[in-house]
Amino acid sequence: MSTAVAIHEEAHVPQPKQISKPGGLLRRTNFLTALISGVVTAAVFWFVTDKITSAVAGAGATNSMALPSGLNINITMMYIGWVIGFMAGIGAFAGPIRWFLGHDLTHADAEYMAGKDMGREKFWKFTTDHKVVGIQYLVVTLVLFGFGGLLAMLIRTELGATWTEVFNPNFYNSIIGTHGIVMIIAMIIVISGPIGNFIVPIMCGARDMAFPRLNALSIWLLIAAIPPLVSNLLMGGIRDGWTVYQPLADQAPIGMIGYQICIITFAFSTGIASVNLITTIVRMRAAGMTWSRTPILVYGILGSSIMGLVWFPMYQYSQILALSDRTLLTSFFVPSSGGSVWLYENLFWLLGHPEVYVIVIPATAGLLEYLPVFVRKPLFSYKLAVSGIFGVVGLSAVVWVHHMYMTGWAPQSNYPFMMSTEMISIPFSFLVLVILGTMWRGKPWKRLPMMAVYAVVWNKVIGGITGVYLSDTPVDQYMHGSMFVVAHFHYMLMGAGLFGAMGVISYFFPKMIGRYLDELWGSIGFWTAFAGFQITFMSMFVAGLQGMPRRVLQFDSLFNISNWISTIGAYIIGIGMLIFLYAIIDSWRNGIPAPDNPWGGKTLENFTSTPVPHENFPVLPVVTSGPYDFGTPDPYELADDAIMQKTEGAEKVSARS
Amino acid sequence: MSDTKATEAGRTLSPTTGESVEVTGSRDKLGVWMIIVSCTTGTIALLVSYAYLWSLNVNGAWAPTPGSANWAPVWPFWVIFTAMLIATLIMWNGYRSLREGKVGAMKSAALLSSLLLLGAFIGQIFQIARFPFGPADGAYASATLWLAIANGIWLFLAVFLTAAIFNRTRAGRVSVENPNHARLVAMFMTYLCVAAFLGCVFTTVMQESPNTNSPPFGTFSQ
Repeated sequence: MSTAVAIHEEAHVPQPKQISKPGGLLRRTNFLTALISGVVTAAVFWFVTDKITSAVAGAGATNSMALPSGLNINITMMYIGWVIGFMAGIGAFAGPIRWFLGHDLTHADAEYMAGKDMGREKFWKFTTDHKVVGIQYLVVTLVLFGFGGLLAMLIRTELGATWTEVFNPNFYNSIIGTHGIVMIIAMIIVISGPIGNFIVPIMCGARDMAFPRLNALSIWLLIAAIPPLVSNLLMGGIRDGWTVYQPLADQAPIGMIGYQICIITFAFSTGIASVNLITTIVRMRAAGMTWSRTPILVYGILGSSIMGLVWFPMYQYSQILALSDRTLLTSFFVPSSGGSVWLYENLFWLLGHPEVYVIVIPATAGLLEYLPVFVRKPLFSYKLAVSGIFGVVGLSAVVWVHHMYMTGWAPQSNYPFMMSTEMISIPFSFLVLVILGTMWRGKPWKRLPMMAVYAVVWNKVIGGITGVYLSDTPVDQYMHGSMFVVAHFHYMLMGAGLFGAMGVISYFFPKMIGRYLDELWGSIGFWTAFAGFQITFMSMFVAGLQGMPRRVLQFDSLFNISNWISTIGAYIIGIGMLIFLYAIIDSWRNGIPAPDNPWGGKTLENFTSTPVPHENFPVLPVVTSGPYDFGTPDPYELADDAIMQKTEGAEKVSARS
Repeated sequence: MSDTKATEAGRTLSPTTGESVEVTGSRDKLGVWMIIVSCTTGTIALLVSYAYLWSLNVNGAWAPTPGSANWAPVWPFWVIFTAMLIATLIMWNGYRSLREGKVGAMKSAALLSSLLLLGAFIGQIFQIARFPFGPADGAYASATLWLAIANGIWLFLAVFLTAAIFNRTRAGRVSVENPNHARLVAMFMTYLCVAAFLGCVFTTVMQESPNTNSPPFGTFSQ
């Protein structure tokens, strides 16, 4: 909790008794202790569960609470043990126990936990500083994209090799499901994680997030959630796609439990992160930062967090109940004993569709954030952008049924939901209009982040228009379950979400890392991936229009050509992404050092030095103007008095070496 | 989360962050509200599941398996809810007393509330163990069991929180100058009462399914 230094130096607040060295138990915990503790606890949970279930079965107990023994419950308890042990090993429970006992953190404890003067070791610990958490999120995101991307290459290899089967059909299905959910998780966190944690508090003028310990908890819960998911490939896999519809999931191999535990844990992580982001944004904005002076990225993160907070529990409960059906033999989704598969589909899609906006809104808001910087014009219709974001947030609650047109659930509801789904394109198009309006007659500064704007507008228009088609019930009857749908959602999630995220990350990279992202290699990687993306998914649209179903290993030779082209495109994406990754890694180590205000922006993160100091600001800023008050069209005029959001005490704050 | 140790110019400051406790308290309050919003969605998911399966009566398998199982008695739900409600009222009363300067009343309230909730938690476990059905005895059994399990988890958390408030009041962390954490726990307990009340209403009112002639939905068995 790093909000202390500046105030303490002035106030000299008396401290509680320091019981041990600052940090206490957390001095001894790190990623290694977490791994060891997780593995040991998982083994203990397995052993104890096995003994109990064997004993119950041996006693021939038939009362109501005699749990069914077998592999399902053992595996479930093993994973639960892993998560609990891992979190205990990283030190996540130290805070609640101290709070329970009435031993609050001293200022020295808080500084230790924030990783002050700790060096790189802080990245491997339960560190509370939002900047450390942001970097941890960035690395985890890159790892997830690497893994999910590798699986995508395997999928396309199978589909491109039309003359032979590369993989066993079950393993192929597992790759599909795992690729889907890994990429969904990565896309959900790609902006809200790194940028939301690192940049948003600074952009708001705060010293840290509202709840720094919850912040650390959210990233370590996410890390704990990944091994169960990945391990599914060794235990029969997820063969039912990322949606894991019932009752297929109920009948699936034990690998499904890894998926369920992962989602349950990830939902806790997301909920905690959402609470933290919302509270930080609502309560901790700098003095003078009224809602009309709040940067648009902050609105995007706020909208995304609201959707995550409200809808994620639905998805979480769908998996809790599904896991209960497997382990306790309840029957929420088992029709033979009174359950309903439609219930699962409703619970799932109540998050499943808003999740698209959880992904796309922050990426779009990120583009809107830096677009004025690169065209040196005010954001076109700031209020339209804000209403677009919250229009999407509001309507996202009433669109989920369009995923269920063909399931037979409540056919009378198809047309109302068709209307609501088409309506959501209106606030969404507000955001595109704001992009176009801001660029109109501007003189864009042609740097990598700006290139992402062009790419995203293109992708979003294609993804959006095909989405309007798919939301029409009659069209959906034909297109449903085809590769057309796959191409459409990749245009939205990857085309708008991921390419947008690449732009946003390249924009904030200098502030986060202290060095510019290599423009040459970054651009080569970006445009290579973009070209590959068009080849892959345009061809997939064709395959879909020809009638090729999704999630199939073997298909008619009619679809060979489009699949070959798609596979070639996918390899080009892979090459582009590797080049972009190289640019990130190389720039991280050897990039050109960035100044305090790397792009001449006006928002508050540009007021503090680069790298950002421990407390973010020597003196908390007071905002007296809007974030996009650009009066000059010349992007190269970087005089401080012309470009910065005015603050009191700016001389102190912007002092830099 | 922070505590109170110093005052400067009439303001009580948190030793951890150095900010006024009004500032940290306001932040904590919004955070708890957000948690309640999230928990409400989860509760709605459970209640919707109950009501949905009740109304649909898929394959006529909502009711407990005749002969081997039965409906759960309703009164234990209400007894547990009543204990929760009394504990919550005691907690709010303790908080109000603390605001009036009575630290001892807060300690007593937290202790009493904690003990009541512990009793309710034990009662919840006992109720689950004594259900006249097993988890596999139809959709009603599943939905009722999970309402009870969820309530049990909340009760465990509530025992932890109220016991912590007792400890913290003793240690001077919850005080007249900084009663925020007591208020936050009371707020959360109020939400738990609402959730438990809805659970009681559902399990009381919705037993026999109104859909007595449900069509066969198939079994989807392999």
